[in-house]
Amino acid sequence: MTGADTVPGPLTGLRILELADETGHFCGKLLGDLGADIVKIEPPGGERCRRVGPFLDDIPHPERSLPFWYYNTSKRGITLALDTADGSGLFRRLAARADIVLETFRPGYLASLGLDYEALSAENPRLILCALTPFGQTGPWRDYLSSDLLHMAAGGEMASSGYDDADVPNAPPIAPGGGNAWHMGCHYACMAIMAALVYRTVSARGQHIDVSIHEACSLTTEGQVANYIYRGEVLRRQTGRHHAAGPTPRTQFRAKDGKYVCALVGGRLNPKYVGELADLLDSYGMVGDLRDPKYQDPAVITANTSHIIDDLVANFIASLPGEEVYHAAQERGFTWGAVRAPEQLLDDPHLHDRGFWKEVEHPELGRSFTYPGEAAIYNGSPWRISRRAPLIGEHNIEIFCGELGLSRGELSVLAENHII
Amino acid sequence: MKALAGIRVVDFSWVRAGPWATRWLGALGAEIIKIEWPENERGRLPSTTTPQPLEVNLNTSGNFNDTNVNKKSLCLNVRTAKGLEIAKRLIGVSDIVIENFSSRVLRNWGLGYEELRRIKPDIVYVSMSGYGHTGRHHHYTTFGPVAQAVSGLTFLSGLPDKPPAGWGWSYMDDTGGMYGAMCALTGLYHRNMTAQGQHIDLSQMVASVPLVGPALLDFTVNGRGSRRPGYPPGNRAHWPGTPLVDNYRGPTVAPHNAYRTDPGGYNDWCVIVCHSDDEWRRLARVMGAPSATAAKFATVSGRLQHQKELDEQIEAWTMTLGKYEVTALCQAVGVRAMPVQSAEDRVEHDPQLRQRGMYLEIEHPALGMHKVQNAPFKMSETPALNHLPSPLIGQHTREIVEGLLGYGHEEMCAGFADDTFWPIKRPRLPYLEEMLL
Repeated sequence: MTGADTVPGPLTGLRILELADETGHFCGKLLGDLGADIVKIEPPGGERCRRVGPFLDDIPHPERSLPFWYYNTSKRGITLALDTADGSGLFRRLAARADIVLETFRPGYLASLGLDYEALSAENPRLILCALTPFGQTGPWRDYLSSDLLHMAAGGEMASSGYDDADVPNAPPIAPGGGNAWHMGCHYACMAIMAALVYRTVSARGQHIDVSIHEACSLTTEGQVANYIYRGEVLRRQTGRHHAAGPTPRTQFRAKDGKYVCALVGGRLNPKYVGELADLLDSYGMVGDLRDPKYQDPAVITANTSHIIDDLVANFIASLPGEEVYHAAQERGFTWGAVRAPEQLLDDPHLHDRGFWKEVEHPELGRSFTYPGEAAIYNGSPWRISRRAPLIGEHNIEIFCGELGLSRGELSVLAENHII
Repeated sequence: MKALAGIRVVDFSWVRAGPWATRWLGALGAEIIKIEWPENERGRLPSTTTPQPLEVNLNTSGNFNDTNVNKKSLCLNVRTAKGLEIAKRLIGVSDIVIENFSSRVLRNWGLGYEELRRIKPDIVYVSMSGYGHTGRHHHYTTFGPVAQAVSGLTFLSGLPDKPPAGWGWSYMDDTGGMYGAMCALTGLYHRNMTAQGQHIDLSQMVASVPLVGPALLDFTVNGRGSRRPGYPPGNRAHWPGTPLVDNYRGPTVAPHNAYRTDPGGYNDWCVIVCHSDDEWRRLARVMGAPSATAAKFATVSGRLQHQKELDEQIEAWTMTLGKYEVTALCQAVGVRAMPVQSAEDRVEHDPQLRQRGMYLEIEHPALGMHKVQNAPFKMSETPALNHLPSPLIGQHTREIVEGLLGYGHEEMCAGFADDTFWPIKRPRLPYLEEMLL
């Protein structure tokens, strides 16, 4: 990959102003890792999601929040109190030369400061302003409060996720973890911004985009909505696998090392599959009765589904470590996977082959840390992390003095008055 | 005006992740030409979403319709020399090629990136295979739950000391589709700015790994793995009786849970979260229970310490109300609460989605009039509205072969006789017969 570090990313040359909390900073990271110049604008003292842990060495501090680090790579950072006359004036000057503003304030807040799309686009018709909010800019729930858990409930994720009675009787619906409501909103925001950018390359016009996280989550349940619209079905939760109108064979099996393996067998059982399954189990001396000619008959297979899955497959997986089952099965063409804890991924040779892990320098600490990298390899214009998350106000001098021409004296006055 | 007006996409994708990507490119205004062949079609059949009393066939899957709006269908046998030549002619007049086959399929057809680039030098080629085209396990295959398992996403969901609960659907088909669309759009933007195309090698499994980023950093920075007591904490931010550790979904607070509501049916649940003592005091007032004002619940540390009792008291209250009532009462005073909503709830009862026009009807020639899911964003200049129902298989073959590619009518008819545009042995559907007139 000679010279790869000098090849510009696909969004090189774009200036994006990010006014985003935990709901939107992943969108800025995606655009920044793709090469855009993201200037994150935080309130003086720093964005409040710097207060969310885990923290470096478990020492709480706004410069040590790992979620903040992770979601704010490839950005520069400045501080600015938008709710002051000086602050909003400086913001207007920045917006006049920006390509995109990404904001996650409650609906109407920017307008109350005179910084809405109409005002900003009057000075910069090419500006794309993307407002990413829990419920959008309109509607009866517009001003409702939210959280990741709330979106997982309202969006339909919880209705489909949890346990069947065999694993946990009477279990509640379980919200998938990891903050994915924010990811869902950010993916759609990113897509809309990219579409607006493509349109601008031919029209030279910007526009306003109103993204709703609730709608993004409501869209992210695969066939759940179609099942209702076309069949009137309300689907039931099944451990680790697809929701379904009725019970389905399990797909999650405990391996010898206590870890789980995801093996979709039910629904695929036919004579050919049983033959391949026999080969796999036989290579470990555990074929059982799978070579019996009776399994040439699909009706016999159907009648023995529980025996094949709950006896033969379950015992096979229980006899081996999870990772070994995963690779042995995949090498024979089975779509099976190990249920890994995130920390197991660091040893995955496939990810290493793809150059996935990135060492990111934290010069103020004199250390570098391993970060997950890109979803896709761009062979002509790389997606890559260009820098660690900004420190609070780290680029105030660069932007306010270097770009807007403020003197160091003026900068000091702004700091003394809590404007930066 | 549409954002992608004038953009043409050759769409070899099938099943879910790829079609979900091109669905959005279509909504944004690109012309999506879906290449299909009925003998090895995956996405239309098997169908569990055919409305009764319709017959299950290639044109009656409701889920296919929702996943493939805004597209045209060209039935083409790419495994023949003639079919391949027609595909190449189509690529020559297109902007984007997108597919989600296993890693070597397109190359084996003779349509690897080098060949695509020879045909159309600035083509944007997005491949969306399970493990990507690069790396030793490129030949491994995925469906959503496998990608979610291998990447760590599944592990982050569930109750402590129970098996992982994971996700109840192919989250990474939805999300893989989003990345497919984002990759195509960034590639297109880059092409418009530089006149350079490229191959973008997306992997469904790899794309899920950045979604567990904070948990990975907790390990690479602090050495703390996710396999530990009390994790994952179900719907809570922290599991009672276990060490206080972070949960990768936000601040550690209580209450933060799902609670049963009246009348106690399968999806009669609501969730309530208080991010501050002030929010808790407001909730306590709404609940009106004297014990809610107990001193032990007054602070976040007290609520975390007595979380089980706290949750029991909240649930005793929520069980007296419907989930929408709990939501309205709480939100009216600034308390975070939402109903657990099924698909039926969202389509029929969610006032916000109704007001925003989330489910609008489109007429499909075989299925009739049905609601289809719309974009979760409003674009002021270039609205992303669904404008075509999903295509019948081969519905646009004549339009594309004759109209776009300039073949004569006799040549197109010949293609129906030599296995190029429809399998010879398969009965032709009425609209295909009409094409031959």
